[in-house]
Amino acid sequence: MALNGGAPPRGSAAAAAANLRRRRTGGSAAAPGGTAGNMLQFYTDDAPGLKISPNVVLVMSIGFIAFVAVLHVMGKLYFVRKD
Amino acid sequence: MGGGFRVLHLVRPFLSFLPEVQSADRKVPFREKVIYTVISLFIFLVCSQLPLYGIHSTTGADPFYWMRVILASNRGTVMELGITPIVTSGLVMQLLAGSKIIEVDNNVREDRALLNGAQKLLGILIAVGEAVAYVLSGMYGSVGQLGVGNAILIIVQLCFAGIIVICLDELLQKGYGLGSGISLFIATNICESIIWKAFSPTTINSGRGAEFEGAVIALFHLLITRSDKVRALREAFYRQNLPNVTNLLATVLIFLIVIYFQGFRVVLPVRSKNARGQQGSYPIKLFYTSNMPIILQSALVSNLYFISQLLHRKYSGNFLVNLLGKWKESEYSGQSVPVGGLAYYVTAPSSLADMAANPFHALFYLVFMLTACALFSKTWIEVSGSSARDVAKQLKEQQMVMPGHRDSNLQKELNRYIPTAAAFGGMCIGALTVLADFMGAIGSGTGILLAVTIIYQYFETFEKEKASELGLFGF
Repeated sequence: MALNGGAPPRGSAAAAAANLRRRRTGGSAAAPGGTAGNMLQFYTDDAPGLKISPNVVLVMSIGFIAFVAVLHVMGKLYFVRKD
Repeated sequence: MGGGFRVLHLVRPFLSFLPEVQSADRKVPFREKVIYTVISLFIFLVCSQLPLYGIHSTTGADPFYWMRVILASNRGTVMELGITPIVTSGLVMQLLAGSKIIEVDNNVREDRALLNGAQKLLGILIAVGEAVAYVLSGMYGSVGQLGVGNAILIIVQLCFAGIIVICLDELLQKGYGLGSGISLFIATNICESIIWKAFSPTTINSGRGAEFEGAVIALFHLLITRSDKVRALREAFYRQNLPNVTNLLATVLIFLIVIYFQGFRVVLPVRSKNARGQQGSYPIKLFYTSNMPIILQSALVSNLYFISQLLHRKYSGNFLVNLLGKWKESEYSGQSVPVGGLAYYVTAPSSLADMAANPFHALFYLVFMLTACALFSKTWIEVSGSSARDVAKQLKEQQMVMPGHRDSNLQKELNRYIPTAAAFGGMCIGALTVLADFMGAIGSGTGILLAVTIIYQYFETFEKEKASELGLFGF
């Protein structure tokens, strides 16, 4: 932050930064973005693992929904239970 | 301590198989975040309407009825498990780490990665376990009726849905979206049920002719069709078995009260040691732990219900089991409701009339809620690293001091406010929950409190995002 002497107004960058930093470091009261405290805030670091991009997640979910929908259709058409 | 480390290292071989969303390598613009959030929400909503393939029936008492709203799950749909696996695993890991059973050094990168991995692995395992338990316990019809193939298909669907929820949550948290998936899904589910109960167009015949389920729709319907307008109004406001207008008004009132209290805070002035004249403030909110106390409290209560219900079904004659909880099927919905024992006393009274009839129950419930919330809140600041000591350390790292106090005094000064704020704030949250329950607010006191606090946090995030988009902050 570039701040040089001249008294900045209250609640300026410094205040904001203090607030922000506090939030980032995770007091649960003001945890960022609707997280319910630290508990629900785990995945912030990179861990080794099967890397997938966010779009893959979305496509995967939609694929799953389509799969279940197709199962329903197939079930209605072909595997009619004999009971 | 060696044992603790070994536990965490057990996860390592599995780490490479766990799906992991890439971190954003650039700053994701606000618009894009909104789009990601909306798509995730859409996927969640579709999943919570899409019925599972291969189930036979979902009739009969639902043992998880109490947790449905809070755990964002819908019966008989792909989202049957909702966020249960992820919340349970998060809770377990956090408590294990907080109580030092698993030693985690938060400054070591590998430890954090392992903890993440462990939490995710546990979440998936819980999803698999629950899916198998659901199918084997015959919740969708016995395995014989389903056929082995279908049973396996159901388990696969439930597991995959669990993994998708975990991935969506991670996607939102890694900076592609706003907030966390869990809170988004909880809030959506609760809001959905509130809106539904207010405007639902389905009619229910309860012996006095067809009635609309939605409170607002019913109000207009009654006002238009009945000739005696005063009685119609009274009916719309006070009908017993369906959501009525008083419930709706109570919900709105609770909403406003919580929003009002969110603004209560103590602002401590802080000043930077390096840059002269640079001043800041450090607000300590009344709701310091936000909605954590009720999340923990409801997790506790729902587990108690679950165990008590299981035991009651198996050994209903036993004295100890009855002490824990007696259950009876309600005539309206076919749900099991607690009628005795501990489970009954930690349940909210169903109405004001019920409260007047059993004042001891109401009193016990009130005391239980207040103490539980205050205690959980105080525990939570220690577990989550937001106690006075941790905050003092953070401020010191940023070279912030409080004017008029020595460095060593910082923690003492913070200690005057933080534990009080945590305990008192937890108690207030508990009291508001009780108030909501007593007034019969729609979607249970816990549900509303969760929804409001989450929405408020989202509102704050929005403001912050907008501000940082405009480049108000100097970095």
